[in-house]
Formats: sequence, C-alpha cells, structure tokens
Amino acid sequence: MSAAGARPIVEARGLTRTYSANGVPLRAVDGVDLAVEAGETVSVMGPSGCGKSTLLHLLGGLERPDAGEIVLDGRRVDRLSETAWSVVRRRTIGFVFQSFNLVDELTALENVELPALLVGASGRRARRRAVELLEQLDVADRRHHLPDRLSGGERQRVALARALINDPLLILADEPTGNLDSRATGEILRLFADLRSSGQSLLVVTHDARVASTADRLLSMRDGAVVGHTHLGGVSPVGSVLAGLADFGDAEGAR
Amino acid sequence: MRDPILALLAKEPAHGYEVRQRLVQALGPPGEGLNPGQVYVTLGRLEKAGLVAVEQVGQSSHPDRKVYDLTAAGRERVAEWLGDLSWPKVTPTDFHLKLVAATAAGLADPVALIDAQRHELLRQLREVQEVTLAQPPDSHGGLLLEGAALRLQADIRWLEVCEQRWLEWSTR
Amino acid sequence: MRSVRLAVRLAWCNLRRRPTQAVLLLLTLTLATAMFGAGMALYGSADRPWDRVWAATDGFHVSAAYYRDRDVDRADVDLDAARARFAELAAAPEVRAVGGPWTHLYGLLDVDGGSEDLTAEIRDAGRSAVDQPLVTAGSWLSAGSDGVVLEQGLADALELGPGDTISVQGHEVAVRGVAMTVSRGRFPLSRPAQIWVTPATGETFRRIGLTEEGMEMQLRLNDPDDADAFAAAHRDIEAIGETSILSLETWRQRRTDSHSDIDILAGTLFAAGVLVGLLTVATAAVIVAGRMAAQTRQIGTLKAVGVTPRQVVLALLVENLALAGLATLVGLGAGRVVAPRLAEASQTVLGQPETPALTWGRVAIVAGVAAAVVVLATVRPAVRGLRHSTVRSLASGARPPRRPGHMARWVATPGLPLVGVLGLRSAWRRPGRLLTNAVGLSLAVAMIVVAAGLRPSLARLDAAGAASASPGEALSTGAVDTLYEQVRAIVLGTAGLLLVLATINALIIAALAARDSARNHATLRAVGATPRQTMAMLVVSQLGASLLAVALGLPLGLGLWSVMDGGDLPPVPVPTTTLVAIAAIVPLVFAALVTLPARRWAHQPPARALTYE
Repeated sequence: MSAAGARPIVEARGLTRTYSANGVPLRAVDGVDLAVEAGETVSVMGPSGCGKSTLLHLLGGLERPDAGEIVLDGRRVDRLSETAWSVVRRRTIGFVFQSFNLVDELTALENVELPALLVGASGRRARRRAVELLEQLDVADRRHHLPDRLSGGERQRVALARALINDPLLILADEPTGNLDSRATGEILRLFADLRSSGQSLLVVTHDARVASTADRLLSMRDGAVVGHTHLGGVSPVGSVLAGLADFGDAEGAR
Repeated sequence: MRDPILALLAKEPAHGYEVRQRLVQALGPPGEGLNPGQVYVTLGRLEKAGLVAVEQVGQSSHPDRKVYDLTAAGRERVAEWLGDLSWPKVTPTDFHLKLVAATAAGLADPVALIDAQRHELLRQLREVQEVTLAQPPDSHGGLLLEGAALRLQADIRWLEVCEQRWLEWSTR
Repeated sequence: MRSVRLAVRLAWCNLRRRPTQAVLLLLTLTLATAMFGAGMALYGSADRPWDRVWAATDGFHVSAAYYRDRDVDRADVDLDAARARFAELAAAPEVRAVGGPWTHLYGLLDVDGGSEDLTAEIRDAGRSAVDQPLVTAGSWLSAGSDGVVLEQGLADALELGPGDTISVQGHEVAVRGVAMTVSRGRFPLSRPAQIWVTPATGETFRRIGLTEEGMEMQLRLNDPDDADAFAAAHRDIEAIGETSILSLETWRQRRTDSHSDIDILAGTLFAAGVLVGLLTVATAAVIVAGRMAAQTRQIGTLKAVGVTPRQVVLALLVENLALAGLATLVGLGAGRVVAPRLAEASQTVLGQPETPALTWGRVAIVAGVAAAVVVLATVRPAVRGLRHSTVRSLASGARPPRRPGHMARWVATPGLPLVGVLGLRSAWRRPGRLLTNAVGLSLAVAMIVVAAGLRPSLARLDAAGAASASPGEALSTGAVDTLYEQVRAIVLGTAGLLLVLATINALIIAALAARDSARNHATLRAVGATPRQTMAMLVVSQLGASLLAVALGLPLGLGLWSVMDGGDLPPVPVPTTTLVAIAAIVPLVFAALVTLPARRWAHQPPARALTYE
C-alpha cells in the first residue's frame, strides 16, 4: 500500500459521461470516484456496457467528462485542451488496448520509439531504449516486422513496450487480453506481474478473471457506477487454496 | 486417496516414502502440504483390503522398512479405475441451494452472497496464479495448477451470470 | 449459385450503408453514359429526314457538277466540253433516268448590309425525272411567271416566303415558292445561296450581269447500289481543265456529308463522354480501394457469418455493375431526351430531325462503356482477392521496409521534423494506395489542363472567324456563329463539368485518405501527438500523391489536348503560365481539401476513432 502522505497517481471525483443513444440520454459513467496509489494495481470489472472502458478513456483524456474532476499527478486535467492533453499523456500515461492499436505502417521498433521521439528524445536514445524494452519483453527478434506480421501476443507486447518507453506514471490497460489466446494471456499476466514487482502503477479494465485477480484492489462496475470494492491481497478466510488442491480421491481426503 | 496410490504402485514396488515422493512430484506445489501420515494410513488400509502386499525388509517394523507391491486383485482394481469415467463434482450445488434458501427465508441478499463468494474465488485465483508463476512452465504440477485456475475462472463466470440473474429476479 | 445470392445481399447491405459513395459514383457514371447516349442519338438523327426528302424528290444516285474553280480569278469556263461529257455520262447503260443538265448562273443577292453569293439554277416548269425539289411553301416554277423558288434555308435565313420579293443585283423578282432537296445543302452552312428560275428569268439575269459558270446533272441508275462503281468507272471525265472542276458524287457520299454540324456536336459529346468516363474510372478506383481497406478491418466479423474475401470482391462487382446498369438506363434515356433538342438547332437537317431507333447494338455500346468503367476500377482488388483466399490478400497491405527502418536516425538529422518523417514514411510504405490516389488525381489534373486549353481555343476561333469575314458574308458569319455557339456551349459546359468532376474526385480521394488515417491518428494522439502534428502528418503523406499526380497529369492533359486538337478547333498550346499555376495550385488545394474532414476529428477526443471497429 502507499506510504502515508504520498498522493495518489490519479484521482477522480464524481466523473460523469453521458451519451445520447437515439435521443435517450445514457449515463455511461455515473458519478464515479476512484484513486490509484503509487505502485498499485487496480482492476475494474463489470458486464459489457457497464462503462468501464469509458472510465478508462476518461482517465486518460481520450474522452471528455461531462462532470467531475480528474487529478493526475497533482494536476487538474479534466478541462485541458486536446493539445495540452496530448502533451500530458506523453510523459505520464501509457496505454494498452484490446485491439493493440499499433500504427500499421511502422515496424514494431518504430512503433515503440515513437513516444520517445515525441517527447524530444534524440533518435539514438529513443532507439536504444526501444530495443531494451523489446528485449525485456522477449519480442526483440521481431522488431523490424510490421504489425500485420506479428501474432496477437507479440503485438500486445510491442504495445506494452510502447506504453513503457517514457517511464509513465500510470499504465492504463483496456481489456489487454481480450484478443489473445490462452497462452498469450499467460505471457501478459507474467509481464504484468513483473511490472507490479517493479513498482509500476497500473489500472486494468477487464472481464477476464485471471487478469482481474492479479490486482491489489478490485472495483466492480454496473450501469456506470462503482458497486463494489474489494482488496484482493491478504489472507483468504478459507485458508490456502493449495491445501484444498490436494483433496482428492475418496472421502478419506486431507480434510 | 486409495485408487491413485494404488495406481502409483503399478510401475514397480516401492517404499512408503517413495510412494509419497511420487505423489508430491505429480502434484507439484499442492502436494507440499500433503500430510505424510495420510499416505501410510492409506497404504495400511489397502493392505487390509488385499489389494496391496507388504514385504518386510530388515528387522524392525518401522513403516519405512516396508516395501509395498500390488496384488493381482490390486492390479485388477487399477485397470478398472483407469477405465472409470466418473468425474468429480460438476455443479456447485451447495452454493446454489444456499442462495435459494437465503432468499426464500429473507435471511440474506443473494447478490451480496454472490459478490462475497466471487471475491473469495478471485483471491484464490490470485493465489493459484502467483504459485504458477514460480513454476517451470512445463511441469506436471504446473498443469494441475492450470486446471485449478480454469475451474476457478469457470466458477467465477458462473457467479457473474448468477449475479445478473438474481438481480433481475429481485427487481421483478 | 449460393455465392451470387450472398454477394447480392452483401452488395445491397453495402449500398444501403454507404449511400453517398454509391450516389456519387452513379452520378458521374450517368453523366458519362448520358453524353455517350446523347452523342449516339444525335449522330444519325439527320438520316431519316434526308432519306424521306430523297425519296420524295426522286433523288439522285450519281450527281455530276461542273463549275469554275473559284480560287482562280476569272477563268475560262468551257460549258460545251462539259455538256459533251455530261452527254457521254447520260448515255451509259446503267442510267435509268436523267435530270438536267441545268445551267448555273452566278451573281449576287442583295441583302441587308451587303450581298450574298447566289447561284440560280435554270429549270423547266415541268417535273424533272430526277431531283425534283420538294415544295414546302407556295408553288414550283411556272412557264408563264417570272417568279423564282428559294431554297428552304435561304428562305428561313431571310425570312421570306411566297409573295415576297428578292433583289438580285438590283433587279427585283417575286418569290413564287420555297423548296428543299438533297442535292442542295441548307443555306447558310451550304454556300452559295440557291434559287431556281425559269429559262425566261435566266435570260433576264444574264442581261443584268449574272454569268454562266457551271452546270449540274443528276442521274438515277437501275440499281442505286451501283452508284459507287459507276462513279469509279467514270472518274476520267473529272479531269477537264486547270481552272474548272467537274466532279462526280454518289448519293451515299452526300448523305454522309450532309450533316456536318450534327457530326461536330455528336463528336464533341463523344469526346466529352470519354473524358468524363475516364474521370469516373479514377474516382471509382479510389472508392473501391477505400472500400477494400474498410472491409479488411471487418473481415473477422464477415468470416464469422461465412463470408470469404472472394465473396467480398464479388459483392463489390455486383454492386458496381448494378450501378452501371442503372447508369446505362438513365444515360440512354437522358441522351434520347437531350439529343432532339440539340438536333433541332441544326442547320443542315432537312425538316425535323428524327432520333434513330434504339438498337441492341447501341444499348450494348453504352452499357459497355459503363461496364468498362466498373471493371477497370475493380480489376486490381478483384484479381488479388480472387487469386488468393486469405485475409491478407484483401488488405492494401503496407509494404515492409527493405532495410531496417531509419526513422530515428532521420529525426536525429537536424531540420527534419518528426511529423514530416512520419508522414512520408506512411505514404512510402503504402505504394498501392499512393499510386491509386496519384493516378486518380492525375486524371483530374489532366482534365483541368484540357479545360484550361478549351477557353483560349474558342476565343482564338471566334477571332479567326470574325477576321476572315468578308463584307459580303454578314449572314454567313451569323450562321456559323450559331454553330459555334452550340459547340462552344457544349465545350465550355464540358470544361466546367470536368472541373467540377475533378474537384469531386479530389474531394473523394481526400475524404477517403482522411478516413483511412483516422484510426492511426487517434493512436498517435493516444501516444502523445498533438492534433496539429497529426494534421501535418496527413498533409505531408498526401503531398507525395499530389506531386506525383501533377507530374503525371500535366503531360497527360497536354497529350489529350493534342489528340482532341485534330478536330475543328485550331491548335492552341496551353500557356506555360497556366501549367505552372496548375502545378502549384493543385497540391495546395488538395492539401487543404484533405485537412477539411480531418479537422473535424482531429480536435475531438480520440476515443471514438480508437474503438471504432
């Protein structure tokens, strides 16, 4: 948990976003409060249409709230212009999307370099850092391939490298395993665990229980509102599940 | 525990502790919490049922000195067990009944029960995953853990469906 | 075939979902087919009227005319030698009936503001066996009267009728009637003005100074189809002297040459139709390319319903062929409505023009044009999609770099902005799309060049016409002006149309380019690029296409212009300043066009574009 007095990486209060579908107003996000502390992993779960993706978009400035405020790294950001938001995003936020969203015409390496070049890093430094990240994520041998020649898992790892290159304060991941098979999901889970242990703050929106369960805190959303809040760390009231796994055979089991 | 231990003896006769070793190897981390006494108790019962024969090696009747082997009846039983298609419990019937009863009697909000159970399962899934990460990916134990993770996921998904359905029923 | 049914359903879905594109394509395609249809309906609308008059007047099969060479000053005319030759001709065994020979007197007709060249043909009052003019007002010559019969066109031009008088070199004669015949073209396009007179009147004319300078004889043969052979066999009589001309003409020749103004109009319409058709191909190709890119993104969804890339291409073909069919119908109909109006203004048609019947052949031509446009536009994706059946084949996939990308290194070079490098890189890695856009735009540029050349040409033509008008040709200038007016109207109209279509084409290319890049740009924004940076990238990436388009389009336009030039318009090179202006303005305008739709989403939050499937 965070040290006393350290401020949260991102804090949202009363976030609201309304769409009108066929003339009927629809509250995609309805007065949501949330905070992500430094080094924390928070996951948001809920049925499809509950507004969790919209919430993530709002936190990253990809969508404008109709009401409420967002404080990112101590700075109010909910009323920033598009240009200002773009500049803020460069250094503070890394995105990982369900459909990867890599630029089709750029190679994996170029995709990863891009944010670094945008902040003004020199070409050489950007390249070096990009290669480093790709190696860490075990996808460096595909660096000169275009996205359409990469598998889903490889694409997502490239996307993760791109998200990490500017050492963001916060990673926002929207259904990161949504388009991945079971094996690729496992890879991503492993990578997220590594990120967690290195102290990266992470907000993951997902409906995959495997991904959600890795979080320190879990928020449940329904119809645009947060309806549940659990800490997943700590001891289970039922005791270790492992012991129960050795429960096999006839009634003369361990329990 | 009887049939699996019987089957583990099918390869060759073994000491009690060897049987336990084979068991732990097969189970991976879950096997670490296994009560060693349990194995010996089971072996004893199998002997009594005539499925296993014991040979004393050495003088003392310390359990470690005994060598266990399958009898003919034991081998038959193993063959039978290998062909047995029954599967452990498929439905969480207890929980379902819990919800129905609690709602009918007005004792608890079904959605709250479901939420609590879901969070518990998520905690368990988290634990399983953490242990899995420490495993070499291709081990027998890792496979067992993956089975545990998948079943937990299935149960969690069922609980999500339950939540939706019980919500609908309660608002009607 | 189940495939076809599915393709039809897909096509219908696509049409319903993107009506604007379909409507645009339909419009341009219909314009092309309408021009073709009108040209076809126009060409030949003079034939039936001509045939009718020919039949009614017992028209000639072979015509022999003798006249002095007007380019030589006052040459000798040997009428007796001519008469002898005519007699020879008339004596040929194939000849069934003879009209004439009739003597021609040349003089001047007094008209307002000057005079007109006049030919008076001396005829008998009785009915001629060949070429008896068809009287449309009043009556034919009469032995007892001095009255003359005017040729129809002359009467219309001077607004005269039976009972009026005309003045020939100061001498007044009464107008007895008005008549038309196939052996005479209509005044004022056909010169000199023609009247028929009795021998007595002829004498009067001789006394007042008209000179005998020619004669004409019309023959009817046993078999009209023999006319060409007959004329060929008797070519030798044509050489009669250095200062006068004897020529034979068959009825078929005359029939073909009798509607020159309609020919010009029809020709102009055909040419315009071809140009518009070419531009439609370019526009359609761009639309198709955009469609294929969009379908590729949805291919997952489509596959789930059992749709293969092959079927996607088939659906595209079905959709566009349906549009082509519709365009054919509308074009043919429009053509047949427009053509009579154009033909009515003709000054050569004898009587009311009649649109020729719609044969299957004609329908096939117009349908062929429409189908050709469609096929040309879809050939590239079709070939690719049908040959392979993988998803990848449909994508106008980006081309992987041959060497490791040097993007970072380029950026390190001082002075090369990141957006520039990114923009150029994205354009360079999609050569297919770059080429399609460039070719489409280059056609638009070519059309602009052609349009630019038309106006000064017409102006030069008008000036030439005015300058060469001699004092006595007041009426003729006016008459030719009418023809020029029509041609000019069509030509300018076409030029304007081409400009509009070129603009529409550029707009479509720009809109599709912007839409295709919307997702990439949303991604870039998510990663930290500002709206201004993404817009700049878009402009830079399209710059390549527009520069290439200018490089291709200018020579293409000049080439097209020189081809069209072989017609009646005097050759005028398109001024270099105009070319330079086009080369500079087109890329700028295109860049502006591209940013128009981009501006809308560039300043919106990127979430929608990112999540749009």
